[in-house]
Amino acid sequence: MVSPEECASRRALLRGAGTTLAVSAFGMLAGCGTSSAGRASVKKVPLVVRQADVTIFNHSLSLERQAIAAYVAGIPLLNASEAKVAKQFLNQELEHAGELLGLIAAAGGKPIPRAPSYDLGHPRTAREVFTLLHGLEGNQIATYLAVIPRLSPGPVRAAVASILANDAQHLSILRLELGDSPAPAAFVTGRE
Amino acid sequence: MPSQTTRRELLCRGVLAGGLGLAGATVSPADAAAAPAPPSNVAVLGRLVRLELLILYAYQHVLASSLLFSSAQDVVAGLRDQEQAHIHALSAALSVLGGTSPAGPANIAAADHDLSHRNVSQRLGKLRGGKDALRLLLAIEHVAEGAYYVAMSELGGPILPRLGAEIMASEAQHATVLTVLLHPVDLTQAVPYGLVQGRR
Repeated sequence: MVSPEECASRRALLRGAGTTLAVSAFGMLAGCGTSSAGRASVKKVPLVVRQADVTIFNHSLSLERQAIAAYVAGIPLLNASEAKVAKQFLNQELEHAGELLGLIAAAGGKPIPRAPSYDLGHPRTAREVFTLLHGLEGNQIATYLAVIPRLSPGPVRAAVASILANDAQHLSILRLELGDSPAPAAFVTGRE
Repeated sequence: MPSQTTRRELLCRGVLAGGLGLAGATVSPADAAAAPAPPSNVAVLGRLVRLELLILYAYQHVLASSLLFSSAQDVVAGLRDQEQAHIHALSAALSVLGGTSPAGPANIAAADHDLSHRNVSQRLGKLRGGKDALRLLLAIEHVAEGAYYVAMSELGGPILPRLGAEIMASEAQHATVLTVLLHPVDLTQAVPYGLVQGRR
């Protein structure tokens, strides 16, 4: 279950996404509090997080925020059924950002400030939106995979892997929307 | 994707030298000193290979049963091939570390016993059609997600955590694909949770 604090964090994230991206943000938060119902939160694991890993988490957080901005900007260009899926993925990206903020806080670190804007190109069609999102999700996966061996202790690696695996699922659906194979490789690298 | 041979070669070189990651990243002297990996890696890898062998057995049984509708048959065969690739990579790592790969299920009864032990309600010996078969495969993929989630806390060294994460993400994609086959109209069901932790 998503805590009220995490919901507040999601709203804060959206507020920071920029004025042009604030449109329909509250509608997109409709699923807040239900997206992970019935699942154990990573935070239930007593996490000891190293200060040395804060830089890694902050870099990951910046990528999550970029993906959030892309979903918020792209959803208006999608049809109703596509937008329904994208809104769910947006909520899940917000959940990822919340987890990373929790890890940074557990390490006694400070989250980096949000970027004032993100260079998302100029997608005009649903296909261009899906292509943009596919690239961003793949980049997140590749980044998480690169840092996972450097993270410790083990539960922190597991927490990051649970985010990464969800991004891999996003990638599968985005590939389907683009007419590609949803699971093209036995080893997910984000570069498929 | 890298070929199985290439991946095995990388694993062998990486684990033995302690200085190569799967992506060719350099590691610190501390990591190098930590190789070969601690014995716990052998136990974790053995556990994962045993589960992957059960998953492969289930895929093979379902594909041989002709229960699947034709459009699903090719998709499921592709997932089976990926499970085989997971087994090759994990077994190679296990072998390099001095471990011995466990045997897979000897027959349907043994596989069903293992499924029961893992709290999967469906039985290979009692499948009642294509959707039932897909539900069984989906259930066991959720078990795989949970197994890798736990393993990610345990696997150490410069190579194995990345390999574990790559396969965990693959199992999560399999769950998504199987859910799409079961519920092709509503894609939101295919990615239900923001944090993949599977069934444990």
